[in-house]
Amino acid sequence: MTRSEIEQDLLDWIAAATHDFEMARDDARFERLALALFRFQYEACKPYARLCQSLERTPDSVERVEEIPAVPTGAFKEFALRSFPEASTIKIFRTSGTSVDRRGELHLDTLKLYDASLLASLRHGFLIELSGQSPDMRFLAPDADESPDSSLTYMFDKLLKEEGGDASRFDLMDGKLDLTAFEGAIHAAREGDAPLVIGGTSFAFVHFLDHVSEEGSRDKWHLPSGSRVMETGGFKGRSRVVPADVLRADIAGVFAVDEANVINQYGMTELASQFYDSTLLDPSGPRRKIVPPWARVRFVDPESGIDVAAGEVGMIVIHDLANSGNLAAVQTADLGRAILNETGDPIGFDVLGREAGAEARGCSIATDVMLEASKRKGGSS
Amino acid sequence: MTKLEIEWPDAAAERVRAAKERVVLAGEALRARRFGDRLDVARAVLVDWTAADSPWRRELAGALSEATNFSEPTIREGLDAGLAAWDPDAFVACAQREIGAPLASQRAQLAPFSWTTVLTGGAIPMPTLLSALLPLVLGSPVLLRETSKDPVTASLLARSLAARDEDLARAFEPIAFPSDDAAAFEVALEAPCVVATGSDETLQSIERRLSPTQRFVRHGHRFSVAALGSALARNEPALTEAAHGIALDVARWDQSGCLSPVVVYLVGMVEGERRQVAERIAQSLDQISVEMPRGGITKDQAVSISNECSEARMRIDPDVGMLFEAAHHSVVLETEAQPRPAPLARFLRILPVDSEKALIQALAPFSGHLANIALAGFELSPTPDIHSAGPSAGIESLEMRLASLGVSRFTKPGRLQTPPVDWPHDGHSLFTPLARFTQSDSIGL
Repeated sequence: MTRSEIEQDLLDWIAAATHDFEMARDDARFERLALALFRFQYEACKPYARLCQSLERTPDSVERVEEIPAVPTGAFKEFALRSFPEASTIKIFRTSGTSVDRRGELHLDTLKLYDASLLASLRHGFLIELSGQSPDMRFLAPDADESPDSSLTYMFDKLLKEEGGDASRFDLMDGKLDLTAFEGAIHAAREGDAPLVIGGTSFAFVHFLDHVSEEGSRDKWHLPSGSRVMETGGFKGRSRVVPADVLRADIAGVFAVDEANVINQYGMTELASQFYDSTLLDPSGPRRKIVPPWARVRFVDPESGIDVAAGEVGMIVIHDLANSGNLAAVQTADLGRAILNETGDPIGFDVLGREAGAEARGCSIATDVMLEASKRKGGSS
Repeated sequence: MTKLEIEWPDAAAERVRAAKERVVLAGEALRARRFGDRLDVARAVLVDWTAADSPWRRELAGALSEATNFSEPTIREGLDAGLAAWDPDAFVACAQREIGAPLASQRAQLAPFSWTTVLTGGAIPMPTLLSALLPLVLGSPVLLRETSKDPVTASLLARSLAARDEDLARAFEPIAFPSDDAAAFEVALEAPCVVATGSDETLQSIERRLSPTQRFVRHGHRFSVAALGSALARNEPALTEAAHGIALDVARWDQSGCLSPVVVYLVGMVEGERRQVAERIAQSLDQISVEMPRGGITKDQAVSISNECSEARMRIDPDVGMLFEAAHHSVVLETEAQPRPAPLARFLRILPVDSEKALIQALAPFSGHLANIALAGFELSPTPDIHSAGPSAGIESLEMRLASLGVSRFTKPGRLQTPPVDWPHDGHSLFTPLARFTQSDSIGL
């Protein structure tokens, strides 16, 4: 299969899957497309071919998805991992970081599949019945002018343009939340009894909650029925970390929405697909991340590289077929586990925080941390 | 039925306060002893711990293997080698130099702090032993917070002190409390002298909670490296010795201490020489791992190692660089000296630099974070001349330039993790940072 044939097959699949991921799951189709994409990316991306050759897992020997070598997310900082000529690049998303950091980059020569994937997951797991209703949306994140290379801003912007009502906008500017405008939008939504959709980074919500706590007045932030909130981004590189369940409960409390309406998105710049909490779709089931049919999430023993038993904790490896122009198999630095139903079948997954005591590596400092320190002081002696 | 709610005081804070009151009280008897007496006791305790057949060391090795992730052979070897390098007489000589000499002048007196809090960090026992003994010698009783990484060393030291001297034993209390127990920390940080080991963030957090009148002795996180000169590649016995020494330094305490080398720089070696050295180090690690297997590692560490190895596979041209992956260690021969993350747990990077000047440039960004450096394969200066105006060639000149980056000790491969008892940790002298002196000009008036 050529890349364009693979992408067309994926676009058809995504279009059919938007409203029912479960019905659209097709293991044979996934295997066929994943192996075809692997063959294409092996030929087109030299650093990836080097990894595959070093592991002795090339298209000649790989027969199953589990055998496809996965690229660590850190490699997106070091290499331009594209499977197309550099001149064809139309968009580069970059991971967050300071000006002295090396930032991971996702290179794209088309946004067609990227957009289709992100909108399908948003409609399926977050908007659901609000899709097509043009709800107003507010985002506690910078807009595309301020953050042109942020994949998160791009996603919110895409959502706003495709599904947002007239009063939709970004409420974070120059690093500051426009609380007056945000409060006005909530007031207007309450007056009109129209559900409001809110999205933002986890850390922006923490700042917002701090403000509400200091201000003392909570009632004015209450949202009308049917409203929902999406938080994402985590706390990497931040001085303060709030546990996910605490943040969720605080958000639900301030906005006066059910915790099921507070959705965490697991995503990363290096991927075209995202994973949303299940609670709007399945309020009575366990909270877990839902995997779109065109992606597969595996949990791997980091020492052996072999998949762990179902439900056990492992390193998260994602095969995202929507990453057609770069690399589809990505090895994250996160730990997670599959969530199983009564019959032992996976129905989603859970991302775990860092292991307790993981930072306690003794008094030797990891050089990534140390590098930060040396950069802060400008490398002077 | 009426529900009676009682708000109990913070139990850990109360334990810390009670312990503090006990050691402060014990401080009176401690200070009543002469400096020389206290030093003699500390020396005797060190003799007990460093003796070839030390029962304390044997017991500690057993307890640590149950309480930590290190393998038992790694613990035994680490303790034997680390404590064998401690000479109790050198400890005494150091105390006499730093404290005894000013006291002998008849004008200075020790004015010991009423108590000292020691907040330990890391899982390696030697710093815990030393940080407890130093204030006691100076006449300040010690409250030492144990960490979950090493919950046994301090208690064993307390028993060994009791076997030698009641006054010193009563003036030392190890205590454990959770790291997030703010109330317990508040009590511990009331001490007029606080000694802490930890990350920059941890130390800054502690410092913010102290008043300017409190003495704060801080030991931040550091790392060590080795640098091998090109002469090594042409000297087979020296190469064998250096490769074994570096492998030992990496394997000791599973690379978890600030004296563990995370990077080896190959200075001025050509491609073939680099590969030869990398292979020898990897082979030595293979051999050492048989005797001293790596202990358990966290999943996060395993993920980090896996990712770094995969990135190395993508980066390295197999004709130039090399990756050695084994069950208990990983060695990456890079093709450039660019710094990269160090997952630790016996993960070693080998980086080429063209010259000694390039070595200095590569290390300059880490100024202040470097602990010790192991050197081998560099020529000795033909005629070392400290009065020479210009820089001289040779290892002395190299050491001088590296010392300006804050390196506190130079040694040979295999000795990074076994410093002498009086080495200048973080560039400081041993006793002086913890000592308080007073002087009287009115004597005889």
